[in-house]
Amino acid sequence: AADKINLIPQDFFAELCEQIIQHLNHKIPGVNTAELCQRIQTSGIEINVGELAKIANIISLLFSTAARNNLSTEELITTLSNAVSALPKHAVQVIRHVWNEQGKSISVSEDARNMATVGQFVDIKWKLGVAMSSDTCRSLKYPYVTVTLKVADPSGQITEKSFEMTIPQFKNFFRQFKEMAAVLETV
Amino acid sequence: MAAVREGEFAALQSLLKAPSKDAVRQLCQECFSSPPAGLGPLAQRACPGLAAGPEEAEQLVSALHNLTRHIVYRGLTRAEDILALFPENFHQNLKNLLTKIILENISAWRNEAQASQISLPRLVDMDWRVDIKTSSDNIRRMAVPTCLLQLKIQEDVALCGNSPVVSALTMELSKETLDTMLEGLGRIRDQLSAVANK
Repeated sequence: AADKINLIPQDFFAELCEQIIQHLNHKIPGVNTAELCQRIQTSGIEINVGELAKIANIISLLFSTAARNNLSTEELITTLSNAVSALPKHAVQVIRHVWNEQGKSISVSEDARNMATVGQFVDIKWKLGVAMSSDTCRSLKYPYVTVTLKVADPSGQITEKSFEMTIPQFKNFFRQFKEMAAVLETV
Repeated sequence: MAAVREGEFAALQSLLKAPSKDAVRQLCQECFSSPPAGLGPLAQRACPGLAAGPEEAEQLVSALHNLTRHIVYRGLTRAEDILALFPENFHQNLKNLLTKIILENISAWRNEAQASQISLPRLVDMDWRVDIKTSSDNIRRMAVPTCLLQLKIQEDVALCGNSPVVSALTMELSKETLDTMLEGLGRIRDQLSAVANK
């Protein structure tokens, strides 16, 4: 996966590192790997989401380890060169710059948010639709709710999951969350 | 869903050889529910019961499938509309029996058609739990309430056929993200009310 770093243009790599550090700083809920990958692919680079995710994980681990050990920028670069051979010059430059600007502000531990062992819910997008007709029923008029849930997986990368619900299902779905909130109030 | 052709109605008359009305009923249900690809095997199973050769059975099963699906597609719910589909010289008793059977099943068949139409993955189950995080390797004492949610999602029925794939999506919600969820769902609810009142 490390060789694939060569393929990523500098500005995209900078964006990736920025997102990773912002995630470690709890400024953003996760890294938009899939979205970034799509943009990289659109610009003609052949890299898939899995490969980009691996690279993001490596960088994330690098930054969080460096933060825990209070490494200076030079120490970080040295560690990096020992760990990853033949890193392209522009990548090293980006890492150096990002660490200089924001590395010191990464607070390690002392935070309940660092313990994610399960995906963290980030956001919900929704759509209310009515299916008018299909190959099986000419006149349907069947209402349904579509939602897309954004979840930041334990490694900090954002994934989306979309699904449909009937109206009764949606009402039950809503009711369950209200119950959860009620329980949360009492503990 | 094309209209049923003359020749197909002729094939339906093979049902006159059926052993009982229940056998006809059963065959109607199986022919409706079967996807086109399953009609061949279904015909083979139906053969012996109908004392019909393989070719005759295939034509019958295909005709019954097309007739029932056509009626569901058109959304016909009245006896007169269904009776009107049959040609003039069609066997009266058989026509009445088929119409009766179809009317009995039309509602369930419509639901079946709706359930198997193309769609995004569907939510099939939801489980949740509220926990309190009391301690970790980094923080000795705390009391952070958190929700754990597991959604079971079934992938597109049309693609999976008879063995649907169900995946589990597990996630954690904090008080803040739970509020985000509630806000989003509340807006959906408001929209539903607005649409219902129109």
